[in-house]
Amino acid sequence: MRALVKNGIGIFSPQGFLDGNNNSSFLSLEDIEATTKLNVDMILVSLKKVVFFNRNGLDAFVKMFIKVRSEKHITVGFCDYDTKKFTAISKFYKNDLNFSLFASQEIAELFASNYKNQNKNVLLYNEDKSQRSAMAIELHDNGHNPIIAQSKSEFREKSTNANAYDIIIENSFLGQMGQNIATRVTGNAIIYTVSSFLDAEIGSTFNIAYHNNSLNVGFRLFIFDTYKVISMNVHALNFFSKLSSSGAEYNATICFVGMSFDKTPKAFKETLEDAGIMFFEQMDDILQNKELLEELGASSAAAISNKRHLNKVMVTELPNFIDATVATIEMMTNSKASKEAVKIDEIKIPDITDKIASSIGFYGDMDGMVILVFPKDIAKKACELLIGEETDDVEQILDTLAELVNIVGGKIKTLLSDQKISVNITLPRTYPNVDSLLEIAEKRKGVQVDLTFNNDKFLFFLTR
Amino acid sequence: MITKNIIDSYIEKIPPSPKTLRATLQLLNMGELTKASKVAQTDPALSSYLKSLVNRPIYGFKNEVADISQIFGILGVSGSQQAVYNYMISLLSPSKWKLFKLKSTTFHELQAKLSRRWKDILEHLKIDNKDIESAITLLPASIIVSEALFCEKIEDINLLRSVNPIDLNTVLMRLCNVDLFDICEQISQKWDMPNQIAEIIQAASGVKPSQDETTNLLGKWMHLLLFYELSQPLFIEAGLNDFIDFQVDYVGDIYDDFSELLEIG
Repeated sequence: MRALVKNGIGIFSPQGFLDGNNNSSFLSLEDIEATTKLNVDMILVSLKKVVFFNRNGLDAFVKMFIKVRSEKHITVGFCDYDTKKFTAISKFYKNDLNFSLFASQEIAELFASNYKNQNKNVLLYNEDKSQRSAMAIELHDNGHNPIIAQSKSEFREKSTNANAYDIIIENSFLGQMGQNIATRVTGNAIIYTVSSFLDAEIGSTFNIAYHNNSLNVGFRLFIFDTYKVISMNVHALNFFSKLSSSGAEYNATICFVGMSFDKTPKAFKETLEDAGIMFFEQMDDILQNKELLEELGASSAAAISNKRHLNKVMVTELPNFIDATVATIEMMTNSKASKEAVKIDEIKIPDITDKIASSIGFYGDMDGMVILVFPKDIAKKACELLIGEETDDVEQILDTLAELVNIVGGKIKTLLSDQKISVNITLPRTYPNVDSLLEIAEKRKGVQVDLTFNNDKFLFFLTR
Repeated sequence: MITKNIIDSYIEKIPPSPKTLRATLQLLNMGELTKASKVAQTDPALSSYLKSLVNRPIYGFKNEVADISQIFGILGVSGSQQAVYNYMISLLSPSKWKLFKLKSTTFHELQAKLSRRWKDILEHLKIDNKDIESAITLLPASIIVSEALFCEKIEDINLLRSVNPIDLNTVLMRLCNVDLFDICEQISQKWDMPNQIAEIIQAASGVKPSQDETTNLLGKWMHLLLFYELSQPLFIEAGLNDFIDFQVDYVGDIYDDFSELLEIG
């Protein structure tokens, strides 16, 4: 079974009946491992569409959870259940509940490293006092406002005023939380989450290839969420100093948020500042300050200093890139595409009105970036299949466009792998208008292919 | 990816039901079991299918039943009609499955299990109607249609589903405004199956409740039965568990009754 990965959470969704006979058919360790490779910091099994389960049905999952958590340091558990199912699970694992339970995916997201939905007013209740506290701390750390009900009656009373809260948490349980380096994108900033003791291990756990390719794709602001860091040693200090210096040529900024120097030498802060790293107390200090965001490069990306040229391998594989893109857009719009012109030059967009764009990078045996420029109407049509209805909400279209470009990236990966070329893909980036795209792509040389979908012009650009 | 033209062309290519089957069904409709079995015997493929169907463990016969007239005798008019319809649907299945990891024997196993348990359900609901008993035979057609339409688009579907948990029925609906169960209905019309069969199948999709109380109730039982079977390891491994969305809320009010009947727990 494949997981759906969204906002750093990998969710498996079995349907029907779950017992000791079929659980291993639903999910294998290989399925979980394939999901952990996608940089998730939570793996959950949704019970939303499970109408029946017994202890045997859950046991195999729990065994896999524990193995994966100890190896990958990620949060594991179940989600999407009602009170009846929660009671059953609590009864099955009364003294042995060492995984997490989130009544809904929305609740799980509050505990994941996802700041998109921060600042939520959250009413929470758990019979166990230490659970209540643990949840409140996690929620607070993640930028939310937890309100704890100290008793069931208080919870009931407060719940009646549902409008006062964005989310109400009941029937949830925090098992051991994960501690991996999670990656997510907020706007156009990449946020890495680090925790506990930072030492030489950061060099192996941090995905440097991913980081470098994010730089190449045009990401310029990298925020390290360090709220949960207890201390760092000189090896970690050197690592971050080097990381910051190497990003300087891209005009990239690295920020630390929430770092406490209670147990870390104060001199380290000065060294990191000398290396160009900036410190902020709260995530909001950056993310809610649009001027600062712009200054730090999260809404625009300065041109890359080291411009690179297309190479022979890339030109040879060009048909694969175009096929992947055309096939995906054809699939999503149910229309036929025709190729109009191909040229190797700097990107040229004749009419920039009502256009949105997106890009995705790839790296491995070859590296580069695919840029797609859509007329808004094609983007809207292409996204309808994923959204299920027409929408004019630009933010929703851009979010869905990112998913679409992810599909293009996945398809490119598959087609190249058929040619024995192994690549990974970065997170997709979206641009609400052509101007913001040109800030990163202007003056880059590449292959531009003009395509037509039902008389609408669509532009494909492959560059390095 | 898939257009209305592709669907129309698929339905167009479905051949009319074979003469022998039409004759057998007509005789069964008149209650002429012996005559029907004699006609059925003239079609070796149908005979072989019927023997293989009723000798599966789910039917629970201690000794092998090899004679067609004996098979019709044991199954009765309703059961025989159901078995013949199962054969008709199996004629649509591909020689090689690509989208689902199925073999003809696995598909026949699913048909047999659904049919046998549907009979138990109808007995439990005290419904004695041969067309309703045969309705279950059209349900696996939705799997065959999915295979036919999506087998050349496996990668696209996998990529699409890697970013959105969308089932094949919804994909088809969003692309062409027609879903798998509408296509099943068109097949049933082409093969002159009674209208009631298609109505129950539409309700069994779980997303199109029927206005008719009985049809809706049968749709709920059939939807839950389908997912009971699709939760078996054999069918999960075949990739059938999530080809359509399981509507848990739709079957909420019959679940206890269902679990008691099938002794789940």
